[in-house]
Amino acid sequence: MRRYAIPAFFLTPATVLIVLFFMVPVVATLLLSFTDISTTTLSKPSWVGLGNYRDLLADPFLKKILANTGKYVALTLLFNVGMGLVLALLTSLVPSQIGDQFRALWLLPRILPPVVYVFIWQGLLTQAPMGLVSDLLGVSKNWIAAAPWSVVILANGMVGASFGMLIFTSAIRAISRELFYAAAVDGATTWQTVRRVILPLLSWPILFVTAYQTLSLLTSFEYILLLTDGGPGFYTTEVWSLRAYHLALSNYFGNVEFGLGAAMAAVLVLIGILVSLFYLKIFNFQNLVVEPKVEVN
Amino acid sequence: MRGLRLFVALLAVFGLSLAQKTIVIKAWTVGPDDPSITRMTNLEEAVNRLNAVLEKENADYRVKLEASFDTTDWDNYLRRVLLAFQSGQAPDIVQASAAPLIGVWATAGFIAPLDEYVNRYPVFQLEVIPTLWNAVTFKGQVFGIPQDTEARPLYFNKTLLKKLGWSERQINDLPKKIEAGEFTWDDLLAVAKEAVAKGVVQKGYGYWHRPKNGSDFIEWYRAFGGTIYDNQSGKLVFEKAAAKRYFSWLKKAVDAGVLRADMLDGNWRNWHQNITDGKVLFWSGGTWNWAEWTQQWLKDKGGQDWLWANVGFAPQPSYKKGGKPVTLSSPQAYMIWSGSKNKEIAARILAFVTAPDLDARHAVGSGHLPVLKSTPSIIDDRFTREVSALLNYTTFQPLHADLPKWQEAFYRGVSAVESGGLSPDQAVEVVAAEMKRALKDELIVR
Repeated sequence: MRRYAIPAFFLTPATVLIVLFFMVPVVATLLLSFTDISTTTLSKPSWVGLGNYRDLLADPFLKKILANTGKYVALTLLFNVGMGLVLALLTSLVPSQIGDQFRALWLLPRILPPVVYVFIWQGLLTQAPMGLVSDLLGVSKNWIAAAPWSVVILANGMVGASFGMLIFTSAIRAISRELFYAAAVDGATTWQTVRRVILPLLSWPILFVTAYQTLSLLTSFEYILLLTDGGPGFYTTEVWSLRAYHLALSNYFGNVEFGLGAAMAAVLVLIGILVSLFYLKIFNFQNLVVEPKVEVN
Repeated sequence: MRGLRLFVALLAVFGLSLAQKTIVIKAWTVGPDDPSITRMTNLEEAVNRLNAVLEKENADYRVKLEASFDTTDWDNYLRRVLLAFQSGQAPDIVQASAAPLIGVWATAGFIAPLDEYVNRYPVFQLEVIPTLWNAVTFKGQVFGIPQDTEARPLYFNKTLLKKLGWSERQINDLPKKIEAGEFTWDDLLAVAKEAVAKGVVQKGYGYWHRPKNGSDFIEWYRAFGGTIYDNQSGKLVFEKAAAKRYFSWLKKAVDAGVLRADMLDGNWRNWHQNITDGKVLFWSGGTWNWAEWTQQWLKDKGGQDWLWANVGFAPQPSYKKGGKPVTLSSPQAYMIWSGSKNKEIAARILAFVTAPDLDARHAVGSGHLPVLKSTPSIIDDRFTREVSALLNYTTFQPLHADLPKWQEAFYRGVSAVESGGLSPDQAVEVVAAEMKRALKDELIVR
C-alpha cells in the first residue's frame, strides 16, 4: 500500500483538475446532447436520445460545413507548421542577437488580445480611404469580403506560426553541437545539414506541434467569428465549431438550441480523438518513445 | 427640555429615513440604433413621475431605476438577456421585439403575463392603439406593453433617378405607382439595371437590402406572395413557389449587376456610408434609419434636409402587376421578468411610460412610429406624418415560438442564392429540408 501512497499524493492535484475541468464538461456535453434543451425548453428539457445526432445528419448544410472545417484546418495547419519551421530555421541560422529580436517580433500577434488583433486586420483591409491595402493597391474594396479564406488563414496562421517557431527553435538549440561539427567535417552544405541532421531530429516536435495545432484549430473559431462570422454569404467560412457556437449560444432571433450545439461539440471530440490516433500512427509514435538503446550518462 | 425636543426631532428624522425604502428596479433596453436611446430615457422620466406621485401619496418607498441601453447588436443583447434569465439575474424590465421574442420567452416561462396590470391601469386601454395588443398577446395572455412600432420602406435616391432621365413628376409619382401595384420588383430591377448600364451607379449598387439577417426577409417573402402562418392550425408555413420567386429575383439581380453578391457581409457601416453618400439607387430599410442618417451620417451634409432633397420612400412593391405592396412592423415591447420581486412597481412604471409626450419624444427622435392614440395630435414632424401612411400596408410577424428557426433557414437560402452557392431551385429544396429538420410537425410545406 505504501508503495502507492507517494505517487498517489503527487498525482491527486492534477487528477482532480483534469476531472473537474476536462472530464466533467465532456460528460455534461454528452448528457446535454441527448436532450432537446433550447431557449424555450430550458426549464423542462426532455430526453431525446440520439435525436440531435439524427438532426445533424439530416442537416442539408452539414457537408458544406464539414468541407469548410477540413479546408480551414488543413490550410492553416500547413501555414502554421511550415511557417513556424521556416522561421525557426532562419532565426537559428543567423546570429542569435538578430534571430532573438526577430522571434520576439513574431510573438506580438500572440500577446495581443484577439479582438484588438482582428481590429487591426479589419483596419488594414477595409475600403479606401481607411484601408491600407486598398490604398496601396489602388483598388478600393473590403478585402475580407473579397478574399475571406485567405484572410482567415493568414490571420490565424500569423498567430499560430509563433507557436511552432518557439518549439522548433528550442528543439534545434537542443541538438548537440557535435552533430553539426561532424556534418561540417563531412562537408555537408547548409541545406544538407538541415535536411539530414536537423529535420530528422525534429520529428517529435513536428508531431507534437502538428497534433496540437490540429486539435486547437478544430475547436478554435474566435478569429473567424470576429473576422467574417462565418460569412460572407452562404456559410462561406463557417466551420464546425463556429456552427456549434451559433446553434448553442448565438442566434439573431434569440432562440438557441443548446442540445444540438452540444451534439456538434460531442462529434468534434470524437473527430479530435480519431485525428490524434491517426497522427500517432503516421508519425510512428511507438518508435519515438522507445527506450534509447544506449544508456547515456 | 430643549435637549429632549432636539432628541425627539432627531429620532423622528431617523425613523423617517429608516421607514422610507429605496426600491431598485433594473431595466435593459436596446437600440441597437443610437437614436433609440429614448427607450431608456423615457423609462427614467417615467420613474421620476412615479416618484413624484409616491411623494404625494406619502408612500414609504421611492424607486430608483438602474437602466442600460445596448447599442452593439441584437445578437449580443439577446445573448446577454438569455444568460441573465437562465442565471436568475435578469432585470425587472426587458425591452425587445414583441415578435418573436414574446413567443419564445413566454414559452420558456421567462416573462410574466401582464393582463392583471393592463386591466388595473386605464391608460393602457385608453391610449394604446388596439391592433398593437395582438402583437404582444401570446396564447390569450398579454406579455408585453407596446413601446414603439415602425414600418420598413423601400427607399430610392431621387437625384440618381433624375440623372437617369426621370422627370420630377415621374419621381414624385413612384410611391403612388408602387401603392397601386403598377411598379413591381421586376420594374425596379429593370430601372436599376439601366442605371448600372448607364454608369449612374456602380455595379452592384442598384438595389440593396440589409447586410445581415433580420425580420425584413419575411416582408420580402410576403411581397413575393408568400404566406408564413396558418391561422387554423397555428403552424408556420413555407411556400415553395413564393420562395422560388424571391430567390429567382435575387439571382437575376445579382446576375444583372444590380445587387452585390456579397451583400450579406454584415457591414452596417459600409451600408449607411454608401447610402448617405448617395451611391445607391434603391434600398430597403427601416423608418428608424431616417433618424440614424439624420443624426449620425448626414450631420455635415445638412441632416434631414439632405434626405428630403435626395431620398423618397414607398412600401415594398408587389411581385406582380396589380398586387398589393407590403411593409412589416415589428413592434417593440417592454416585458417583465417572471422572476422579478417587484412586478407591481415595474408594471406601474410601464403605466407611466405609456404617455403621449414620451411616445412622441421617442417617435420623432428615433424615426419610429407612435403606439398611442393621442400622440399624432401633439407631433409636428413631416417624416412621422408621411411615413405613417405606410402602416396601411403593414404586416406583423407571427408569434410562434419556433419562428426564429424558420427565419434562420430562410436566410440561409437567401445567402446561398446571392453568393452563388446554390441555384434558386436548389435553395428552395435546401431551405425546405432545413425547416423540416428544425421545425418538424410545426411546419406546413406547400
